[in-house]
Amino acid sequence: MSDSAVGLATGSGTTKPNKKKYLETFLGGVYNTNPVTVQVLGICIFLAVTIRVQNAIVMGLALIVVLTGTNLFVSLLRAYIPRRIRMIVEVAIIATFVIILDQLLRAYYWEMSKQLGPYVALIITNCIVMGRAEAFAMQNPPLISMVDGAANGIGYLWILVAVSLVRELIGSGTILGYTILSTSWYERNILFLLAPGAFITGGLLIWVINAINLSTNKEDAK
Amino acid sequence: MKNSVHVLVFSGILAMVCAILLYAVTQFTEPLRKINEETDKDRNFLSALGVPIPKNVKPRELLNIFEKNVKIKKIGKITIYEYIPETSKSGKPIAIAVPFSGPGFWAPIKGVLAFEPDLLTIRGIRFYQQEETPGLGGEIASKWFQDEFKGKKIVSKNGEPGFRIVKSGGKSKKANDTNAVDAITGATRTSERVERMLDKVAKELYKERKNYVR
Repeated sequence: MSDSAVGLATGSGTTKPNKKKYLETFLGGVYNTNPVTVQVLGICIFLAVTIRVQNAIVMGLALIVVLTGTNLFVSLLRAYIPRRIRMIVEVAIIATFVIILDQLLRAYYWEMSKQLGPYVALIITNCIVMGRAEAFAMQNPPLISMVDGAANGIGYLWILVAVSLVRELIGSGTILGYTILSTSWYERNILFLLAPGAFITGGLLIWVINAINLSTNKEDAK
Repeated sequence: MKNSVHVLVFSGILAMVCAILLYAVTQFTEPLRKINEETDKDRNFLSALGVPIPKNVKPRELLNIFEKNVKIKKIGKITIYEYIPETSKSGKPIAIAVPFSGPGFWAPIKGVLAFEPDLLTIRGIRFYQQEETPGLGGEIASKWFQDEFKGKKIVSKNGEPGFRIVKSGGKSKKANDTNAVDAITGATRTSERVERMLDKVAKELYKERKNYVR
């Protein structure tokens, strides 16, 4: 994996990004440099929320909003942030943004905030948020930084949903709370509700995706 | 030197801006958050008591229903919530709710038990605040677990007050006693903690029950 692919050296931000760059950035976040399958970031939350499909969806959507927002603010401030304390500044911006969002949800969207429950505070510590601020938003203009944030959020969302489908089905016998495998004949596999279930499912998913990438790369080379 | 000044000034300004923003937002949203938390609690009390709640009810209407149908009383140290329907002529309660709380596995758990007027038979249970592991301890909020409580009592067959959450160990040995329900598989810690708080409220309530005048 080259540096440019993970967005570490994606320009100094002086040149205006063109359409192709936008598309590359978007596809990068969603698939090519996916935060989970390629960079293996945000695993802490990944372990916690993929127990239920519903939690996975809510968390994925929340992360899209947070990533887009924090990338925008970090990018806007990137010229003024002193390099030596940039990480502390990034964390401060992320924490402030997430807490404000949490407060607003509690005031206006009570049901949604109840579902997010303890996970909201976890978003602050999600490495993806910090990673994108550090790797992308610090070097790029606001608009493309927002695209990068949203794309990584979408990339996270679909992985969370894919893994949670497997874990909820095997662990609880349900999907989105609807019973698929009846407990009258199906013995729930608790292992899949615990952390090992996430490692097994996630590991297999990363394997499959890498295998697909490898075979397509070979074909490209021919 | 110049660099350090920049760092100091920047972090100072950033800290100020963040602090002011956070303060402003929390202050601004506080009344709304309070109403939401309050109605959520009331909704759970009403639902445990079996008070009919219309769908898509607004927070203020819900508070109104609560005030019209529920009377708050004290017996000894325990606060009880009597459900006396608005339309009732006798003025006798048809259900009584008793709140309980205690430490959960991750965070405090708060809930409410609803009883028949005899203050012995459980009518329903709701947990209105819990942050247990979803899929495991979080199952305390699910229907199958709460349905187990219907018709159970806070005294055993031998008349001992208390409450148990038991590991059923296979299909043959179900929670048979009048004051026991099945624990949640894979959530032993949560089950233990919930058992502790229910046992406590059951014993306290049994003691104060004599002083309860209808």
